[in-house]
Amino acid sequence: MIRYLILSGLATTLLFGCFETPYVQGERIYKIHCQNCHMDDGSGLETLIKPLNNSSLLGSDKMICIIKTGIQDTIHGENDYLPKEMPAFKQLTPVELTNLINFINSKWDTNFKEKSIKEIQNSLEKCNF
Amino acid sequence: MRFYYLNIAFFLISFSIISCNNQPKELPYLGNVEIVNGQELKHKVGTIHHWNQDSILMSNQDFKDVIYVADFFFTSCPSICPRVIKEMLKIYEEFKNDPMIKIVSFTIDPIRDTPQRLKLYADNLKIDHNKWYFLTGDKDQTLKLADTYFVAAFEDPEAPGGFDHSGKIILVDKDGHIRSFSEGTDPDSTPKLIKDIKTLAESYKK
Repeated sequence: MIRYLILSGLATTLLFGCFETPYVQGERIYKIHCQNCHMDDGSGLETLIKPLNNSSLLGSDKMICIIKTGIQDTIHGENDYLPKEMPAFKQLTPVELTNLINFINSKWDTNFKEKSIKEIQNSLEKCNF
Repeated sequence: MRFYYLNIAFFLISFSIISCNNQPKELPYLGNVEIVNGQELKHKVGTIHHWNQDSILMSNQDFKDVIYVADFFFTSCPSICPRVIKEMLKIYEEFKNDPMIKIVSFTIDPIRDTPQRLKLYADNLKIDHNKWYFLTGDKDQTLKLADTYFVAAFEDPEAPGGFDHSGKIILVDKDGHIRSFSEGTDPDSTPKLIKDIKTLAESYKK
């Protein structure tokens, strides 16, 4: 009886393990660098911080460049302005970028295709730094 | 075996009854109690002398008929602020139609965060300016004020954005007493605060 219980328990943990995100490293990087602004569910913050979960840049080369270069933008008002900046994450290596991009795309891109380190490196070469 | 299950069931039922009875009918008063001339003085938040996003000067008097949740932030904050504001938005949405409940965000970076800039920020959050006040004032006074809300906030050139601060969301009653709080950086702590806001609001409706 107990043996069956243990066995079925093990089987379920293994089964659920398979459904978890395979991009654990990417998720870790997302939590450190992205989550505070883009949120756990990628929803961003109204018009202040762009959402990722329905971004048109999912899967694109441009997203890879933006992570490396950041964005300098401003919201203009009548008497003042509000900076709308994304910091540049220059320190991320191609391997870390690959993990991060695959995590983001696998989570929110409906046409997800895994990218290799080679592909990420090619994309990086095309960025205007 | 059957008795075993009965035992568990009995335990569970009694446990749930005990935990139901334990639910506090009144929220606690947080902070130290001072005794002056034999009278107990409960902790209160400090002096509010701040301008809102419409450049209107606000004081503690403006909050004597409302209960509110407050946080300390700044618009150019690159670290925890957006997360905290996101949780404040959830609270705002929940109590949007209750005029007794207000939301307050103090900026700890008043030099950059003018009322005009705070207005832009609030506009972009698409919130009602009469429900959620973004307040700016004297920097040192605001940092001292944060202390009375049990929020650690101080200037630190090493910290991202130049300020170090905690992301607590504080619930204040009509008399300026702190009654509950949540960690704005932990979305799981928001439902309990929402429940506490309801409990506090209910206590005024009796």
